[in-house]
Amino acid sequence: MYEAVHAHPDGDSTVARFATTADRYGYDGVVVRADDARPDYETLRAELSCDVVDAAEIVADGPNQASGAVGNYRPDRTLLLVRGGTNALNRFAVEQARVDVLTRPFAGEGDFNHVLAKAATRNGVRVEFDFGPVLRATGGHRVRHVDDLRKLKRILDHYDTPYVVSANARSHLELRAPRELVAVGEELGLGGEWVRDGLDEWGRLADENRRRRSESFIAPGVERGTYEEDD
Amino acid sequence: MKHLPKHLQPRWRYLAVKLEAWPDARFDRGDFQRELWYAAQNLYGDAGSAAADLTVLSFSFADGEGETVVRAYRGEEGRARAALACVTEVNGDPVGVRVAGISGTVRACEERYLGRGAGTLEERDVVFEDESRPAVVRRLGTDVRGSGGFVGATQLDFE
Repeated sequence: MYEAVHAHPDGDSTVARFATTADRYGYDGVVVRADDARPDYETLRAELSCDVVDAAEIVADGPNQASGAVGNYRPDRTLLLVRGGTNALNRFAVEQARVDVLTRPFAGEGDFNHVLAKAATRNGVRVEFDFGPVLRATGGHRVRHVDDLRKLKRILDHYDTPYVVSANARSHLELRAPRELVAVGEELGLGGEWVRDGLDEWGRLADENRRRRSESFIAPGVERGTYEEDD
Repeated sequence: MKHLPKHLQPRWRYLAVKLEAWPDARFDRGDFQRELWYAAQNLYGDAGSAAADLTVLSFSFADGEGETVVRAYRGEEGRARAALACVTEVNGDPVGVRVAGISGTVRACEERYLGRGAGTLEERDVVFEDESRPAVVRRLGTDVRGSGGFVGATQLDFE
């Protein structure tokens, strides 16, 4: 199970602190949603017992700006996340096969519907369930967010759209253990198994992209193997 | 009042809970209990809160690290866990909450999951982002004091 976090300077804790805390909480790794953060991934992976996945979270005002950033980051990051929040951005993210995850589709004015779900399934874009407001907000804002999440589950279930779950932690204190998130999911009516699957999806996604970026990969279904040399 | 016959006594489960916060956080058992009940009430209402109980029993917290035992009715452990996950601030101080384990008696709970103390705490200056800054070094990590509050780091960030 993996969790995606905002590391310093985007958040209040460094990647190393996130990774040690996540390891203690029972996660297999952390995904760094880097906007300004530039950690040294090689050293971190060598020193820590927990996996660290390099990702970029694109925060843009509109599709044009996001499109440029997607082109810039795609070649050198394992995962590419686009933060939604407006209908135009949500639509842009699910229609780009180069994007891995659409994060926070309900932040701000954004909404999600069956058209976006079908596009996301077609392009293999994961839609994020943001547990941040569920854990940290109160009152009407939280009620509306829970309502949105339940609606999202209903739509995604119907179109078999892939999804990920995250608590969107900005410091190691906002991180919650997988079993805690599962319990919260159970309470919200999303189902425990479903939440666990969403946490696992980060790991599956990272593995798949790493395999694709490795040198032996040529095209889907075509890989360079080990063969005897011809004389 | 005379205590209930054994078969009518409630069955409890005890959750061992680990707490973590920034080094300058100050709160006590009462503050944590209030936040936990608020969290439960906000998550599943008054009826659900009564059905889960969630009394904070033993409590210790100092220098940004602590542990406590939370009581819940048997069968309501999942709900208790969910309410604990929703405790994000106590007295305005952000806290990290984790359930270390669940037991059927307070004693087993403390012996199995708690009491592996905070260890030593040391204050010294560290070089973080090419700048010397005061920091609190603990077993769990190093909290560096910055202009806008603390930054959570580990020894790895200073090498």
